[in-house]
Amino acid sequence: MRQYKNLVKVLILVCIVLSMAGCWDKTELDEKAYVIGLGLDTHEKAGKIKVTYLIANPEVGSQQSGGGTNEPPQEIVTFVANDFISSRNTANTVISKEISYDLLSVIIVSEELARKPDFVRVMYSAAKDREIKRSAELIVTKEKAEKFITDNKPTLETRPHKFFEVKIGRGKETGMIPDTDLNDFFQVSESDSDLFLGIYATTETEEGDEGAASDDDFMAGEIHFGGKEKAAQFAGAAVFKEGMMIGKITGEETRISSLLDNTWELQDFITAFQDPFDGQYRISARLAKPRKNTYQFKQQSGRPVIDIKVPMYIEILSDPSLVNFSKNEEKIVELKKSLTTSMEEHLTQYIKYTQEEFKGDTFHLSIPIRKNFATLKEFREFDWMKSYPDAEINVSVDIRFGEFGRQTKLPSLQELRD
Amino acid sequence: MKQNKGKIGIKEYIAIIALTVGTKLSDDTPSIIFENARNAGWIAVLLMGAMAIIPIILLIKVFSAHPDKNLHEVIIHLFGRFFGNILSIALLLAGVASVTVDTGTYVDIIGTMYFTKTPTSIIYMVLMLVCAYGAKRGIEQIASVAWVLIPYLKITLFIAFLVSFNSGHFDFIFPIWGEGKMEIVKSSIKNVSIFSDFLFIGLIAPLVVSFKDFKKGTIIGLFIVVFEISLALISYVMLFDYTTAELLNYPFHETIRYIEIGFLPNVETLFFPFWLVATFIRFSFYLYLSAILLGGILKIEEFEYLIPLITIIILLLGLAPDSPSIYLYIMRQKLLMLLSPAFLCLPPLMWLIAKIRGDFKNEAVQESS
Repeated sequence: MRQYKNLVKVLILVCIVLSMAGCWDKTELDEKAYVIGLGLDTHEKAGKIKVTYLIANPEVGSQQSGGGTNEPPQEIVTFVANDFISSRNTANTVISKEISYDLLSVIIVSEELARKPDFVRVMYSAAKDREIKRSAELIVTKEKAEKFITDNKPTLETRPHKFFEVKIGRGKETGMIPDTDLNDFFQVSESDSDLFLGIYATTETEEGDEGAASDDDFMAGEIHFGGKEKAAQFAGAAVFKEGMMIGKITGEETRISSLLDNTWELQDFITAFQDPFDGQYRISARLAKPRKNTYQFKQQSGRPVIDIKVPMYIEILSDPSLVNFSKNEEKIVELKKSLTTSMEEHLTQYIKYTQEEFKGDTFHLSIPIRKNFATLKEFREFDWMKSYPDAEINVSVDIRFGEFGRQTKLPSLQELRD
Repeated sequence: MKQNKGKIGIKEYIAIIALTVGTKLSDDTPSIIFENARNAGWIAVLLMGAMAIIPIILLIKVFSAHPDKNLHEVIIHLFGRFFGNILSIALLLAGVASVTVDTGTYVDIIGTMYFTKTPTSIIYMVLMLVCAYGAKRGIEQIASVAWVLIPYLKITLFIAFLVSFNSGHFDFIFPIWGEGKMEIVKSSIKNVSIFSDFLFIGLIAPLVVSFKDFKKGTIIGLFIVVFEISLALISYVMLFDYTTAELLNYPFHETIRYIEIGFLPNVETLFFPFWLVATFIRFSFYLYLSAILLGGILKIEEFEYLIPLITIIILLLGLAPDSPSIYLYIMRQKLLMLLSPAFLCLPPLMWLIAKIRGDFKNEAVQESS
């Protein structure tokens, strides 16, 4: 009798625990339509927006779906709605499954909508919604978001969630697009002392000659790729002030911004510098930031002065003028000097540009200088957004060289031509 | 084990404290603290801990004179039958009210963050059913479950902290004093009652194996929870910055939804079950405490049979409010403000009366004899 008693107790406990899993909220995988990308566009009518859903097909790409499926990997619908919360049910007019934002990874916004003062109101629905996560990415597109989603046709990564995950991840590693997400968007807009950078992307390639864009100084859509790839280009960033887009910066400027920013984890990236030994060539170099920047803040007669020290680790990958660094110590010193001035120039120029053009910083400069204030009240009265354009900012770059390519020695040109 | 029947050891006692008070970091307590103290919330918690030490030490002192009496019996002893009972009833009302508001909040968390379609009443019923069952099993069982599960609960919690420290920015905790030192003090005094559980824990004082364990366990428990909650507030600020952290209803749940562990993006389902178990233990313990107090007031020896009654009352009261997430937040804020002076004043008053009555002399005599 005793063991039955225990058995009954265990059964009751199991029932209770199982019921916590919630039968009401139970849905099977194939009963849900997972929205991976959410496109937002303006609509003529005030207070309405155009919503585009990029819905993934969970059957594609999974190993165990016996025999596979002939259905395409994604499904796209566009319609007009009040916001992207009520739009879920509207979408069910055409889509048979329940719309879920559980796996939403990108919110795609057209530049046109992002530039509207109303934009921040639209976005706050994302903070209210129960399923949207703050780790979602914000992408600003040159064209309409609807067009972006339909025209983006990557050849190999056809599964949309994988495409965005890998593409954005890689872009962040190389510094061509900003390392930000929805949480940053809200945080920066709410604290109102810095500018937010959103990822800039497009599927439209600009007309013009193919060599126009030099090195990394281009926006998405400015590079011409041969071949047949139809995937969107991701490069550069859209600048947001107080939750509204006010401008955009190129891929190179995004990298510069990321070098000045302590909140971004930057992997190494490859870029090219002017060759100090022969003006017509450019040296390729792999750059990495081994440590965080240090910031020195002081106020001189009401004007803030900030010294930023950027540590850099550089590997020289090419030697187009065949200088042969391994045998020439003076040349290395010369190269270091040239790179330091070149980088400092670029950074200072960019800071000046943000001070004049955007009247705010894009690299979270308000965060390190907070340390110098005892209370939030003092910090608010200082009003970083207002004082930044007049601030004096000195940048110094501290370069350490790493390797000089796989083969450090090169033959001299004269010997070869002999 | 046999000779200790009905008693709990120091490990179990600390585990209970760490779960009941420590779990507060995952509900809306952080946002209540953030409201005044902003990014200096963690300092406010440390200050609250420092403030709470005084009444807790005095309480322990009072109990030292009456090692086999629980809080209710001590109150009756000190204040007399009439005033003592009134005081105990007031405590009971405050206790039941906080349990009601707390369960309501937790049901709201489960409802809004995880089970969006399940009716609130069902979540509430299941939660209370589980907790009532736990409470009915008695303190021994609650304590040993708490002790067995605490490593898992705290390890997952610290994984969440570590990950959020990693993805957050340390500089967000500056300016170090937040809105100003005065604001921190104000916020601490207003909300010091998040530690008022220590007063109610006095109800199980005689159930701890020895008085020395009770004393040591209470102090260690206090340090653990202060440290834990303070750490949690730092992690929220580091992840969200003060402006956003203040706007979030339940920062802990927002955190576990935001963070990614390595290549795993949606990790909240990993943390949620552990949090749920902590919640069960917490409310089982509260129900048990309420039952002891009510049993004491009504002089019912078999107070376990009061648990279903209290559960039903809490369930009905908790289901009543309209728009719970807003209403409960306000209620909780008011309750914390109301309990704070009570928590700060009652133990000193008890100690004073005990002193005047000369209870401590008896103890000295007892010890020397």
